Amino acid sequence: MADDFEPHSLDQDAFLSEVHSFEFWFQAVEGYLSDRPYGHREDMPDDPDSITNRDGLVTILCNYCVGEMAALEASSGMVRLAPNNHSRIFMATQVADEARHLEVFEHRLVDLGVDDPEVEVARRANPQIVEFKRRLLALVDDGDWEAAVFAQNVLLETMEYTVFRHHAKTADPVTAETLEGVISDERRHLGFGENDVGRRLAQDRSGNARLLDVRRDLDPLVLGVFDAVFDDLSVPSVERPRLGREYLDAVERLGLTA
Amino acid sequence: MSEVLSDIAEPPRRRFELEETGFKEVPKKWRRFYRHWQGPGDVLAPNEVICPVCKVVIRSTREFRVGDKVYCMPCMTRMVIVERDDGGLVAHVSY
Repeated sequence: MADDFEPHSLDQDAFLSEVHSFEFWFQAVEGYLSDRPYGHREDMPDDPDSITNRDGLVTILCNYCVGEMAALEASSGMVRLAPNNHSRIFMATQVADEARHLEVFEHRLVDLGVDDPEVEVARRANPQIVEFKRRLLALVDDGDWEAAVFAQNVLLETMEYTVFRHHAKTADPVTAETLEGVISDERRHLGFGENDVGRRLAQDRSGNARLLDVRRDLDPLVLGVFDAVFDDLSVPSVERPRLGREYLDAVERLGLTA
Repeated sequence: MSEVLSDIAEPPRRRFELEETGFKEVPKKWRRFYRHWQGPGDVLAPNEVICPVCKVVIRSTREFRVGDKVYCMPCMTRMVIVERDDGGLVAHVSY
């Protein structure tokens, strides 16, 4: 390869073939996860007893687990719905990512003293994220790839990306490092979603109205989850519009505004 | 306009040596083309733009100019460089 060769020289098909490949995923996650079993370095000092509002952190992680379960179940169903092999292979890598996220969050719950994470997640889950999961899986069950990608990879992933990035700045060191690895994965997921939906709408705007309906249906749940998590994270009200803006930017770039 | 004619009409582009900055979210051969934004106090060089989708800094071996195509590999986004009202350059998502 010539010294001045760079990714920006690739044609679009070559670019998509590279970034959707299993090999790209494997080499990427190897870069930032190989020394982090369960999402963080094993030798990191950890003192759960010193964590301020430990019970609040347990509730937050339980709700993260619901989001990850939603994405794990949905993306595994979407492998079958994918319109081509690039998308199918990418979605398979997302299944692995989501399974890892669920595992590392459950592992962190055990660190924090939770005996049975599955029981605790069911007990503490916010009803709005549970309802979001139900509606997302209904889109997958209907075989609606476009709506499912929009709901999962744009709405859910953008929400998680925004919340996790904010949380990582204030969390205890072990939780923060665990979140950072998840955030790195989420970049791929939300980017895949926005670009897949964006390319489809650029070719045929007829899907626009239908996706707007999906957004109208899910937006109240997403915004409700945002509020609940921001309450749990004690995010000052003055900061919330800026964080919400990051979520709105993605749907506005796609032209999916009311 | 071809790149040859463009280079006649405009000053030659500055070239940059890229080194890895600790960004590990893409395979090793692509890592030097991306870096994490360091927040307030960080400054973009003429060969850098921010990805509007995932907020990673995208880098090139040459300075960016209007119309250049750029890719963000961490989030799989294709963009085109455009000029802001204040004359600065930004990346605009191009699906």
